[in-house]
Amino acid sequence: MECDQMTSTEPEDFTDLTCTNLMIKLKILLKKLPSGDSLAFFATREQVDNTCSPFTGQGYQVSWDQEAENQYLVRIGK
Amino acid sequence: MTGSTFLFCDPISEERIRWYAGVLTAVNDERNLTRPDTISIFLTGDALFSLVDARTRLSWNALSSLPLIRIIADGDELHVQGLKDAVGSGCPYVHIRGHDSPEPFWESLVSTLKKEWTGTKRAGFLLCNAPYMSRVPVYMLRFLNGVHHADLHPELYTYLNGVHTLHDGQRPSEFENIGRGVTALARDAALSGRDSWYAACSRCATARGYYQMNAGTGFCEPSSCIQEIEIRPLKQILARFSENHPILSHAAGSIVLRGEPGGRVPHLLVCITNLPYYTEWTFGGLSLAIAAAMEGMPTTILFIEDGVYALHGTQEVPKHDKVFNIQEMIAVTTDVTNLRYCVHGPSLADRGIQISEELSMVGEVADEDLARIMYGTEEESSKSALRMIFF
Repeated sequence: MECDQMTSTEPEDFTDLTCTNLMIKLKILLKKLPSGDSLAFFATREQVDNTCSPFTGQGYQVSWDQEAENQYLVRIGK
Repeated sequence: MTGSTFLFCDPISEERIRWYAGVLTAVNDERNLTRPDTISIFLTGDALFSLVDARTRLSWNALSSLPLIRIIADGDELHVQGLKDAVGSGCPYVHIRGHDSPEPFWESLVSTLKKEWTGTKRAGFLLCNAPYMSRVPVYMLRFLNGVHHADLHPELYTYLNGVHTLHDGQRPSEFENIGRGVTALARDAALSGRDSWYAACSRCATARGYYQMNAGTGFCEPSSCIQEIEIRPLKQILARFSENHPILSHAAGSIVLRGEPGGRVPHLLVCITNLPYYTEWTFGGLSLAIAAAMEGMPTTILFIEDGVYALHGTQEVPKHDKVFNIQEMIAVTTDVTNLRYCVHGPSLADRGIQISEELSMVGEVADEDLARIMYGTEEESSKSALRMIFF
C-alpha cells in the first residue's frame, strides 16, 4: 500500500524490541502522528507479521520492503 | 487445600506489612472472599532485618496476631546476618528453619507450595537480580534444588539483570558460582529424569550483550553463554506462566483459592513498587505484565508503595533520551484485553500526591479492594490461583 506522505526523518531501528514493546512504541508514536503522515522504521519478519500487520485492521496503511536478511523497512500511514 | 505463600528476599517496609494486614483484615471481615487455610510468609535475605528493626517489628507483631498467619525465617541467613538471637528471643511467633531443622527453610517452602498447588509437577523461579551483586541468585539455586529434591521439575526464567546468570566462565573468588550452580542443577535434574527448563528473556539478553546479531543470517545468536539456559522471546517464557505451577521470585506471592488450580490460567498481579526511571524495575514489570495479558493471562498491574510515583505529574522524556515514557506506555495499553490497571490509594495518601489527570482511567483501590483482587472468587468465577510479583 502507498502512503500519502513519507516521513522525512531517518527510520529508527526497532528490531531489538519485543513484539509487545514494539506494539506499545507504535501506539505511542501513531497517537502523536498527524493525519496524512507516516512512520518508517526497521523491523524483523516476526515483528512485521505479529505486530505491524495487525495495525491494518485498525485503520492504518501498512507496507514494508525487505532491506536485508530478516530486516524490513516498514511504513505505517495514518 | 487453599493457601497463600509469600517469599521475600528484599527489605520489607512497614508500609508493606501494614497494607497486607489491611488486606487480611478485609478477608476476615468479608464473607464473599476466600479465606485461605494457611498464610505462610517465608523471609530470607534482607527481609529478615524487618523482624528486628524498630520501624517494622511492631507491624510484624500485629500481622502475626491475625488468624492463619505463619511466619518462617531462614535460620541459616539469620546466622549469617547475626540476627539469630534477636529473632529467637524477640519474635516468638517466628518459626526459624535452618539446615539442621527437621524441615529446613527451602524444603519447607517447597513442601508448602506443593501442598497448595495440588498435583503440580513443577515449580519455577523468576530471577531478576544479577549474580554476586545480589544474593537472590543463591536463593534461587536453593529453591530450585529444593524443587528438584521434592521430585518436581525445576524451571528458571531469567529476566532483567537475572540474565547475567547466562554468562559463561563465571569465576567468583569469594562467592558461590551461580553459573556452575545452574549447570549442576540441570545435570542432576537430567540424571533424575526431570524435565527441567531454563530460559533467558531475549530482550534482556540482547540489551546486555548475550544475544548478538549475525549480519549474515539477520538473526541473533547467543554469545558467551552457558548452554543450559536458552535465550527465548518473553512470550515463550510467559507461556510457562499459563501452566498451573508455583512461580516465585525475589519478592513474590502465590495464592491458591481452590483445591485444584489445574485447568484454569492463574491470574497475575504485578505490583510496581519502585520509583519509575532510575532502575529498570518499573519498565520491566509493566513490560512483563502487558505481554502476559496479550498472551491471554488475566493480569492486574497495581501501583503501590513508591510505585505510585509512576502516575504522578506529567512526565516528559526529551527526544534525545532513549527511555520509554512510563505514562505514555500506560495510556496506550489501557485497552489491552485481560489487563487492568489500579493504584493503591493509601500509598498515594502516605506520600501526599495524586495521580495525573491524564491517567484517570487507572482506578484507585483501598486495602478492601485489594483483598478482592487477591482473594475474591465470586466476581471472577474462573479464578483459581493468583501469582504476585513485586517489581
